[in-house]
Amino acid sequence: MAIAKAERLMNLALCLMNTRRPLSKRELRESIEAYREAWAQGSEDAFNRMFERDKDDLRELGLVIDVDENTLDGEAGYLARPDRNRLPEIALDAEEAAALSLAAKVWQQARLSGAASGALQKLRAAGVPYTEAPAGTALEPYIPVREAAFEPLLLAARDRRPVSFDYRKAGAAVVEPRSVEPWALECWRGHWYLAGWDRDRGASRVFRLSRIAGKVRSRQGAFTAPVPEHVDVRATVARFAGEGATATATVKVRGGSAYPLRAKALAQRQVDCEWDELEIPYGRGLAADLSEYGADVVVLAPQELRAELIERLRAVAGPAVRAGVVEGEQA
Amino acid sequence: MSNAIDQTRRMLSLVTYLRERPGAEVAEVARAFGISERELIADLNVLPMCGTSFRGGDLLDIDTDGERIWWHNVDDVAQPLRLAADEATALLVAARAVASLPGLRDRDRQALTRAVVKIENAAGETAEGSARVGVTFEAEGQVFADIDRALSEGRRIWLRYYSHGRGGMTEREVDPIRLLTEGHTYLDGWCRTSEDRRLFRLDRVAEIKVLDEPADPPRLEPRDLSQGLVNPAADDPEVVVEVGPGGRWVAEYYTHDTAEELPDGGLRITLRSSDPSGLRTLALRLGADGRIVRPAPLAEQARAAARAALAGYEAAE
Repeated sequence: MAIAKAERLMNLALCLMNTRRPLSKRELRESIEAYREAWAQGSEDAFNRMFERDKDDLRELGLVIDVDENTLDGEAGYLARPDRNRLPEIALDAEEAAALSLAAKVWQQARLSGAASGALQKLRAAGVPYTEAPAGTALEPYIPVREAAFEPLLLAARDRRPVSFDYRKAGAAVVEPRSVEPWALECWRGHWYLAGWDRDRGASRVFRLSRIAGKVRSRQGAFTAPVPEHVDVRATVARFAGEGATATATVKVRGGSAYPLRAKALAQRQVDCEWDELEIPYGRGLAADLSEYGADVVVLAPQELRAELIERLRAVAGPAVRAGVVEGEQA
Repeated sequence: MSNAIDQTRRMLSLVTYLRERPGAEVAEVARAFGISERELIADLNVLPMCGTSFRGGDLLDIDTDGERIWWHNVDDVAQPLRLAADEATALLVAARAVASLPGLRDRDRQALTRAVVKIENAAGETAEGSARVGVTFEAEGQVFADIDRALSEGRRIWLRYYSHGRGGMTEREVDPIRLLTEGHTYLDGWCRTSEDRRLFRLDRVAEIKVLDEPADPPRLEPRDLSQGLVNPAADDPEVVVEVGPGGRWVAEYYTHDTAEELPDGGLRITLRSSDPSGLRTLALRLGADGRIVRPAPLAEQARAAARAALAGYEAAE
């Protein structure tokens, strides 16, 4: 039976951590049984590929592997120096440790939830106290990640690698290829967004991950545009979602209805026993929001919002009107 | 779900952990590592095959009688290891997000904030990548605090709640089960008024009172959150919606069974809903970007709602 990968990786890690001098590939091959087997049964190529992959895997796990000349045979040698791999002293009290344990559970994504528990394991191994999650707190925050594009983009942003993908803009009938230098990912209201440099447009752009169609592909080379010090994905997304409005609208609202509008109203007054008048922030997408309330809301001003709402309602009321494209939300 | 990478990561920490704790109890170690005892035993079966040199014979001499774990040739290799970039990112992003939750108890928030600073310091430049991922939770402070109190005291609550689908206010008594945050924060609770399990979005709670009566929710399975918060039941009525390119977002926001591409770049979406009349608001929102195809009475309700709304404009002209 072939030796399991975890056993092989563990042996490689222990060899690299326990040596004072760089070990050549040949020495490692002869020390680690899994490599001896692979060497005996396969080709040199197969062994080399396995060895390279294993080193990459250990580096993903945080091991710093240095490459130096092996003094015995002059070949390249490998070692994981203790001083470069040690976790600095970290003193967390029980309360801090418990809060961190709770936070580490929020990821609903395999890679990051594995990484978060791995981090906790390292901390606990280093002496951080382990306490059961505090009783009584019934809050369960969690971070959803359902978009397939998340992981490749996470890695690309981490390693500063350009990517390309097919993207369907809001309201667009077809996808188009985009070439992007990914800067940062942000989750807002349960959806993931990517901010980055759009190479074809020569400008920064925000993309919604659920609108990426098909695979995210890595591209050769480095970033060409400077990465801004601070990337505010959230502000951009919020603007498209109608937050941060600069204008106001006046609407008539049936008494007791449309609570969400009342909750964000800047001013409200009772008109008569049936209607109230509200002044509300007017940002992107307001007409769509208002149309949901049907006959409970009537727009009084501005005129263009009123006209847009009437047009929307006519489209729904009319005999199966399904006309062309209306400008939708973007990003 | 233990892949080779996660197992290797765990075993590396395990040797560090065991080094400091001769005779550690299996149950305790499994708890500290967040794994089952079976997974731990599987790790302990691999470790004696590992060492610094196969030929030299210095394999890790770690064994267990099923209750305690002993390591007979402890060596220096087992130092605490630095955090990997992904580990620092996963931990820091999560901790910062949770610390920003408006409803979190102050004491927990302060502890978390202190922990974040310590992790940042220990991770050094490895922590830099964590600035490239951000998560914002939304929650409504006062409502949150009241529900949190009701939960910890085991009491029933009264809500004046805006029901989006019905477009109006409802008053309900609810036995809270827990609070969930996915973008927005929701109360998972047993609604005494409808005798059913319901989710309530906190930003739609207009008024809340914590009642004196004790909460007495039936024993319920935790929700399976892997497919999102709303999981329609298999026997819920089916609704078919056709949207143009501008209405494709429906497929992103609504859990659906199928979404067929249409020649014009639109979609034909089949979904199930326990309360199809709630989808009337979806039809109104879609405007020219889509329509309900089936069931016919629901489609007619949507048209009627639009006609009634238009009447409001004609009357005011």
